[in-house]
Amino acid sequence: MRRFFDRLTQARSGRSSHRSSEDDADARDAMADGQRPATDGGVPTGAGTGDGTGSDATPTDEAGALGRGLARLDDRFGEDFVESSPFWLPPFLLMGFFVYGAIAWNVLISLTDYEGFGNADYSQLDFEMYARAFGDPTVVQAAINTFVLLIAFTGICLVLGMLIAILVDRNVRFDNTLRTIYLLPMSLSFVVTAQFWLWMYDYNNGIVNQLLGVVNLGPYNFIGNPRLVLGAVVFALVWQFSGYAMVVYLAALRAIPSEHFEAAKVDGASIPRMYWRVIVPQLKGATISAAVVLMVFALKAFDFLYSLVGGYRPPNGADILATKMVREAYQNTNWAYGSAIAVLLFLMALGVIGPYLAHQYRNDNL
Amino acid sequence: MMKDTELNRRDVLKGAGGLGAAGMIGIAGCTGDGGGGGGGATVEVLHGWTGGDGAKAAESLASAWEEAHPDITLEFKPIGGGGNTNLNTVISNRLSNNDPPASFAGWPGKNLVKYEGVLGDLTSVWEDGLKGAHVSEASELCKYNGAYRAVPIGSHRLNCLFYNTSVVEEAGVNPDDLTSASALIDALDTIKTETDKVPMAQAMKAPWTTLQLVGAVLLSTGGYDTYMKVVNGEGGKSAVREAFKTTKTILQNYINDDASSIGFTSANQKIMNGEAAFIHQGNWAAGAFRNKENFAYNEDWGFKTFPGTEGLYTLHFDSFIYPSNNPAPEAGKTWEAFVGSKKAQIAFNKYKGSIPTRTDVAKEEFGPYLSETMDDFASADNRPPTLAHGLAVVPEKLTALKGVISNEFSGPYNVDAATNKFVSTIQG
Repeated sequence: MRRFFDRLTQARSGRSSHRSSEDDADARDAMADGQRPATDGGVPTGAGTGDGTGSDATPTDEAGALGRGLARLDDRFGEDFVESSPFWLPPFLLMGFFVYGAIAWNVLISLTDYEGFGNADYSQLDFEMYARAFGDPTVVQAAINTFVLLIAFTGICLVLGMLIAILVDRNVRFDNTLRTIYLLPMSLSFVVTAQFWLWMYDYNNGIVNQLLGVVNLGPYNFIGNPRLVLGAVVFALVWQFSGYAMVVYLAALRAIPSEHFEAAKVDGASIPRMYWRVIVPQLKGATISAAVVLMVFALKAFDFLYSLVGGYRPPNGADILATKMVREAYQNTNWAYGSAIAVLLFLMALGVIGPYLAHQYRNDNL
Repeated sequence: MMKDTELNRRDVLKGAGGLGAAGMIGIAGCTGDGGGGGGGATVEVLHGWTGGDGAKAAESLASAWEEAHPDITLEFKPIGGGGNTNLNTVISNRLSNNDPPASFAGWPGKNLVKYEGVLGDLTSVWEDGLKGAHVSEASELCKYNGAYRAVPIGSHRLNCLFYNTSVVEEAGVNPDDLTSASALIDALDTIKTETDKVPMAQAMKAPWTTLQLVGAVLLSTGGYDTYMKVVNGEGGKSAVREAFKTTKTILQNYINDDASSIGFTSANQKIMNGEAAFIHQGNWAAGAFRNKENFAYNEDWGFKTFPGTEGLYTLHFDSFIYPSNNPAPEAGKTWEAFVGSKKAQIAFNKYKGSIPTRTDVAKEEFGPYLSETMDDFASADNRPPTLAHGLAVVPEKLTALKGVISNEFSGPYNVDAATNKFVSTIQG
């Protein structure tokens, strides 16, 4: 820290390359006098203390050891490790404590038998809650539903988003208007979209059944039929988020040089062939980043299901791990069991993010 | 130029630092306030009545408190949304963080099991005049582990069948003749063939409405003794099967098509609009009827004890639970004693559409419908506890029972699976 201030003050007074032991000692002396070198106010005050006043001060052994320790840290982690710490250390500690600490604590709770309003007993840790979760058919079903939702939602969103992006990119008429229309649903909150898809899926008056009625289909009980409800939820979510996939793809398409299109044309490729062979392969990066974001949205479908029924129990056939977890934790106060389900959900999310991080790392983007 | 940008950056940094410091002070201030409730000058009470009758009733209760205890400030905090879902979540969080309010609204009975270890003792309050004044079921259901834990504010009746008078008249059905579940089904059939209205309005967005219907049918077809045996987990499987079978007949043939996507309010609306003939609900449904203009009791809507449960009053209680480690132990007890008083019960119940749990309250202020309910309450042969609202089974089993309804009995209706899982859940 001292050297950080020291260096900072040197930089302020324009002597950044020149550093002597005298300066070090001076700065230390100034600290000992209770005058911390000022680093605010825009006036280079700190360097001013270096003129003669403390030249005879001898650094104590303790301070020397500290200095050597800090220097060793710098050697190990790079030159600016200690100096830059005021900037990265607080957010690092806050993130570490509130995010990763919370995750670790959650894992710890899932190993206990904590329930009710007592205190958790951390003396006996075992995997009983996980055994219970794997043996619980409702958890297994919820995990399957979560997985199906994840895959179906992400896949359909990507395909749809890419098709719309290609259409918009081909300079169709009103392409800007279309882009806005497709993107707009994303700006709505889950609470709004859930309520209005509930109305649209209504058996008697819902617009979906009315439209199907025009072609002599239905009416279908979208929410009440356990075989249809998950599909209905996926459809609603796709409606909301395919616009996002479109925007990501559109940006990637606009970045492809027009020479590629022309070269394909010169070689006599048909339009579908051109896209399939030349353009789509170049959208790999966009696909990966869009897929990760969409999958995270899918795991957060809790909000949608909660708003759909106004409670923690989604319609039969659409229960996912997130809702099951909240039910166990808050309705039954089975904190440990809820935590175990949360860990399973977390592992699923890691399974999604992990390959993406590995991919980025391999491409030197991390 | 360079200097300018540097100054700007530093200004931003300083500003951020200042904001951070202000934030910390603010947080410190908040926690300071939170801890200051122990003086006995304020009593913090959480409840979930945010709209309609509930909000009016809560307001009336709060002003009655101000009159009775002007020296103690009441922080009466409504936490709305999702039935009582959000309220229960907030309470769970605060209790597990060791930050309980002085009191909170909740169901007594087996529901208290959920709060094992964090319940305070109200025995002194009950001994001091409440015990003799309330019906014996009320005092029994507020006990847990041998001590009093809550005080009831009012009771709703569960075994109710409401109807739209003009629709039943159009079909030529006289609801007062219906004294068994099979008579009810015959009447529903008549309505289906004679009119184009929905015979029975039902909401199935959440499973509790179906669970309470199964409970009412079980009480009707099985009788009081069997019902008690079933909810106490002492057998009665064949009666449960019978109840599910009867309920299946009703749900499969006589309810509205859009049941699965509507909630209780919309189903109740169908009675008020004259789209449906009957609805089974607790008598909170009557609150909506009362608030509709030109919709009068006995002229436009009617009440019939659920067919086959005559002479019974299925109990539902709203109560105020008293947590231990209480931030305002004395003021909290004053609040609980107030909740059990005549004044509070009249102030609350006349707006809520429920009835006092005290036996000595005059009926004048409650209107014709609630007066009849109060008579029935006083003269009931038995008062079985409600299954779907926390009194009869512990919360974990209640959640599981709702799961059974949701998974096996929300269309397609699987009587065998529902019966087996229902019984094994209660007995488990």
